[in-house]
Amino acid sequence: MFIYEKKLQYPVRIKNCDPKLASVIISQYGGPDGELGASLRYLSQRYAMPYPELKGLLTDIGTEELGHLEMIGAIVHQLTRKLTDEQARTAGFDTYFVDRTTGVYPTAASGFPYSAASMAVKGDVIADLTEDLAAEQKARVTYDNILRLSDDPDVNDVIRFLREREVVHFQRFGEAIALAKDKMDQKNVYYVNPAFDK
Amino acid sequence: MYTKPDKPAEDMDAAVCGDACGTMPACAPLAVPYVPFQQKEPKKYDHTEALENGTLFPGLNLPFHLKAKAANVPMTPLSELQALEFVLVELGLYLDTHQDDAQAMELYRQYAALEKEGRARYEAAYGPITQAATAQSKSWAWLKDPWPWNYQEGGDK
Repeated sequence: MFIYEKKLQYPVRIKNCDPKLASVIISQYGGPDGELGASLRYLSQRYAMPYPELKGLLTDIGTEELGHLEMIGAIVHQLTRKLTDEQARTAGFDTYFVDRTTGVYPTAASGFPYSAASMAVKGDVIADLTEDLAAEQKARVTYDNILRLSDDPDVNDVIRFLREREVVHFQRFGEAIALAKDKMDQKNVYYVNPAFDK
Repeated sequence: MYTKPDKPAEDMDAAVCGDACGTMPACAPLAVPYVPFQQKEPKKYDHTEALENGTLFPGLNLPFHLKAKAANVPMTPLSELQALEFVLVELGLYLDTHQDDAQAMELYRQYAALEKEGRARYEAAYGPITQAATAQSKSWAWLKDPWPWNYQEGGDK
C-alpha cells in the first residue's frame, strides 16, 4: 500500500509567475515521457517480474516517480498562482486556461491528454527493462529541452535534480538487466520468458 | 570512427577505470543491452551535496551543459530532512542492485538512524508528516497549512 508523506522529495520554491513556462512543464506531468507514465509503467510492470531484485527496483523507482509527479504539479501550480487576467491571456497558456483555469491536469504540452498508450507493459523481463532504459533517456531529453526553454533559476534547480534522477534510474535498470541475465539461460536468454514459462 | 585500443582490454581497465567507470563482463552473450555495472564502494557525497546534485554518487553526476552547476539548497529544518531521506532513497536503489556491498548497507543503517531522529525533531516543531504521526498532536494538526505545494515566500519552514 501507499502512505502519503506531507512533504516533497526536493524543495520547490518558485517566486515568479510564468504561465508560458508552466504550459511546457505540464508535459512532464501528463505527457508521453512524463512522471505519471513513468510511475504507472514501473508499478505495473513489476507484477510479471520473476526475480526479487526486479520486483524491488521497479517498486522503489515507481514510488520515487510518484514523488516526482508531485514535484512537477507543485512547479506548475506555483508558476500559475497569483495569475492576472492579462497573464491568463498569455499565448500558449490561454488554450490550457480555457479548459482547466489554473487546475493541474495530466496532459502533454501539445494538449493531448495523458494516454497510457505512451507507456508499455509487455510481461517479459528483457523487453520491459529495455523499455525502461529508453523511457529514462526520453525523460532525460525532455528535461534537457525544458532547460533550453526556461530562464527561471528557481525552476531550473528543480529540473536539474529531476533530470539527474533519470540518469541514475537508467544506470539501475541497466544493472537490473545484467542481474536478470545471470539468472536466465546462459547460452540463449531468449530461450524462455521466465515471467511466463515456469 | 572506431580505433583499435593499443592495449588489451584488461590492462585498459586498470589504467583508466576511475569512479565514473563501471565493470563489464569479459565475455557476454550477443543481442542483449549492457550498461556497465557501478563498482562496489563508489565515492559518495554528503547528504546536502547529494540533494543539491540529485545523486549520492559523484561518478553518476552527469549534468546538461545549460545547468551544469549544482543547486544551492538553503538548509532549513525541512530541507535537512529531505537531504537525509534522499540518501536513503538513493542508497536503497543502489542496494537493490548491489546487495553484497556491506559498506553501503552500513551507511544505510547510519542514515536511517539520522533520518529517524531528524523526522521526530521536525514533527515535534512543525507538525506531522504522516497522518499516523498526528496521534502525537493535541488536535487534528494533519490539516495545518502549508501543504507541500503551497510554498509561500517568507512563510516557509
